[in-house]
Amino acid sequence: MTEEPYRWLEAIENRREYVREQIKSGSPVFAASLPDGILLLGVGTGNSKVFELFDRHALAGLGHPADMEKIRQAAIDAAHLEAFTRAPEDVSLRRLVSFGLSPQLKTHFEQIFSAPFLVELLLAEVAAEPGHDLLFRLHFDGAFQYETQGIVLAAGLPDPEKAAHEWLRRNAAGKTEKRDLVDLLLQAWWCLIESKSFSENPPTEDERRAGWRAAVNGKVVEIGWLARKSPRLARFEMLTLAQIGL
Amino acid sequence: MSDPAPIAGDFLSLLAAHQVPPVRGDVSLSAPIQTQATTVFAFHFADGILMAGDRRATAGNVIVTDRVDKVIEIDAASLLAIAGVPATAFEMARVLQTSFEYYRRSQLQPLSLPAKVRALARLLRENLPMTMQGVGVVMPLFAGLDHATTPARAKIYFYDPLGAQFHAVGYAASGSGSGTIRSILSFQERHGEPKPSEMKLPHAVQFALRLLMVASEFDSATGGVNPETRTFATIKVLRAGGVEAIEAEQQAEFLRA
Repeated sequence: MTEEPYRWLEAIENRREYVREQIKSGSPVFAASLPDGILLLGVGTGNSKVFELFDRHALAGLGHPADMEKIRQAAIDAAHLEAFTRAPEDVSLRRLVSFGLSPQLKTHFEQIFSAPFLVELLLAEVAAEPGHDLLFRLHFDGAFQYETQGIVLAAGLPDPEKAAHEWLRRNAAGKTEKRDLVDLLLQAWWCLIESKSFSENPPTEDERRAGWRAAVNGKVVEIGWLARKSPRLARFEMLTLAQIGL
Repeated sequence: MSDPAPIAGDFLSLLAAHQVPPVRGDVSLSAPIQTQATTVFAFHFADGILMAGDRRATAGNVIVTDRVDKVIEIDAASLLAIAGVPATAFEMARVLQTSFEYYRRSQLQPLSLPAKVRALARLLRENLPMTMQGVGVVMPLFAGLDHATTPARAKIYFYDPLGAQFHAVGYAASGSGSGTIRSILSFQERHGEPKPSEMKLPHAVQFALRLLMVASEFDSATGGVNPETRTFATIKVLRAGGVEAIEAEQQAEFLRA
């Protein structure tokens, strides 16, 4: 009986295990704040990992495609309604996540007789100046953290995600060119999907580079770019590896 | 019975689901003196479409402002030029801007040109009660890229106040100064050298500015162009690569050439 508190806790824990089991092999996604904008990266099938949400906002995620689509659509609906009823400048990622997406995810996760969302998400908002960007890490249970600079990532399991985050924090220092950063993110992506260690006997740089080159064969490297300065309102564009010189 | 779900990618049905009506006005027996905006036109030049408008808004015999932008970028592949009552026209532009971007982002593909053309027709039809009262009449021009062909072709459309849409082969004009503009464009296209459709950008911009100068001589509601007071037009061009605004400095340079 789920009305009993310990049963409910057990049921929630079971759901957490179920969700993690379902998405543990998902292809990780990344977002990085650079001087000229925010770069989002995922490896998928095209239009499957990285998406434009609004003028200055984008989403990257892993998980079940149907759940990703529901979240993406909810975010786009909310952003455009806000822009129309107020102004495009009033669309804020902080409000979108904390008052919109996060409560929805938490409610779905805790309603134990309905299916939870099988997603792990990154959301980004580019600001006028570097250091004021918003990079949100939104979890399947509605919990979220955010940073205003640096790199964030979403992977299927928390420990490898944390290890990759620390490795990227160390290795991305000073990298401001898209080409260098995408190369590094794809190295981290390859280590994560191949379950390589980031600390004990990690692969060499050449191995990592050769690894991601081979692993993306037949897949689409989805690179989203939110430009910090642009004459157009819509700052988002999709880039290819060739466009950034890789 | 529950309300029907919004149509996928249709921003107007999303607004309806949230009970946020777009362009809508209440019926009134006595129309106020309306702010109006006049003389916009578009023609094909060698690289695409040039769309231009004067910057004057009037209410009766009063000049409200000489700083209105009547040519509006709706998205990266379409332009709207407004003639009529700005209060309604600007709201229509805002609805179109949000609708087109909403569709593109939610459906992961851009709206086709025929759908964009009809979206504006739909707004005009919804404005019919206001139009019938003589309040809020809008007669816009629309230019968009047709991606059904390769390379994408820019096309011009004009409308009547009831929402009928017409494809303009060479040019279109709207507003109180449009008669003058149409006459000159027709003459130039038939007998001119070069024809507007053969002009390069600097020549096309110069031609557009001169068109507005002439229109303003015959129509007090058209603001015209005066380099001495740095009063220029709003000019935007639509090419296969997208939209480009021709700023005042560039207009001054082309006019001097």
